[in-house]
Amino acid sequence: MSEMQEFEPRIVAFLCNWCSYAGADLAGISRIQYPPSIRVIRVPCSGRVDPLFILKALQNGADGVLVSGCHPGDCHYLTGNYVARRRFAVLHDLLEFCGIEPGRVSFSWVSAAEGERFAEVVREVTERIRKLGPNRRMNAE
Amino acid sequence: MPNDVTAVIQRRARELLSSGQVVMLLGYRPGRSSAQPAFITRPEDASLLVFDQSCGPNLAAFLPKVKHLGRIGVVAKGCDSRSIVLLLQEHQLRREDVFILGVGCNGVLQDSRLSDSCQTCQFPNPVIYDELIGEPAAASGQLKAAGGQQSADSGQRWQWFKNEVSRCIRCYACRQVCPSCYCPICFVDTTMPSWVGRTTRLSDNMLFHIIRALHMAGRCVECGACSRACPMAIDLMSLNRKVSQIVKERFGHIAGLRAEEKPPLTVFDPDDRQEFII
Repeated sequence: MSEMQEFEPRIVAFLCNWCSYAGADLAGISRIQYPPSIRVIRVPCSGRVDPLFILKALQNGADGVLVSGCHPGDCHYLTGNYVARRRFAVLHDLLEFCGIEPGRVSFSWVSAAEGERFAEVVREVTERIRKLGPNRRMNAE
Repeated sequence: MPNDVTAVIQRRARELLSSGQVVMLLGYRPGRSSAQPAFITRPEDASLLVFDQSCGPNLAAFLPKVKHLGRIGVVAKGCDSRSIVLLLQEHQLRREDVFILGVGCNGVLQDSRLSDSCQTCQFPNPVIYDELIGEPAAASGQLKAAGGQQSADSGQRWQWFKNEVSRCIRCYACRQVCPSCYCPICFVDTTMPSWVGRTTRLSDNMLFHIIRALHMAGRCVECGACSRACPMAIDLMSLNRKVSQIVKERFGHIAGLRAEEKPPLTVFDPDDRQEFII
């Protein structure tokens, strides 16, 4: 891709089935506009997301990864997102230590009622990654 | 001329084996450049045992592999004892499976210099034991910031990380010697799905080393066995120290101190900091 062209990020989004995926649905049926940069993977719970999934996505061509789940206290499985939060905290700090650009990997809580918030999160993450440019550090190619 | 600690270990090994209190004594015997693990099952072989500053290997790594034989006697330095506590926490071992001969440790030598991990050792004495042999060692470890390489600039940290992991030849010696790596099937060995590519390209090496470090979160006792085993002298301890530091700062947990504690990544506090979440 020439540097002059506007860079359109490819973002893999792991969305929990019960909240964020439904939030994305709501954004869709409410016809809220957001950038077409995300590729959604539906997971049962944010607790299902192993850091390995995130790194694997970055290795295989994603420019960024978004993980989104239920707000703390709202997990369908009661505590999945709390445990996930600890795991993501360690991943977040470790990636920073290893010099993977902060912002490549984002985490958010979006409920099923927050269609507008979902769109806002995607806009924000897309802008962040657009500023960082293509993912060259982790990419296998 | 055996030192005092060696003599006591030999005597106790003989007694424990003869009386049938343990079926095997896991200790050290002299090796070519440093001591090697010894699996003593006959009382008359107890005279092979030694203990000195060349006794590097973390013997706790062998416990899950020999525990089926019966009760195992094991010589444990500070770090080894913390590994035993970790195995107890994670239900890989029962307390009655082991008889722990604790020894105070003055640090392990590598190429006649104090090993990197021992320079920052905070726990030279066993945290759990059935019998303490010799005198407790004085804590001399200086706390060192995780990775002296921690630069303020993300690009420089990246250069450091790239430089380290690009040397990796993926021999998995770090995993083999690690007492915390007891999974029957390691994520690097799975083929369906094949999570980590088998090449030594940078991206495969990075994936392996980041996930290896993450699997150490709240579980690394910083014994330094991985660093000493690494043929490419990769600075694994910096990554390990970093994850330990993260877990300590965020969740207030230090690995392998109390057997009744739960592993920190299996529990949570509703008020855990979440400043990194959008």
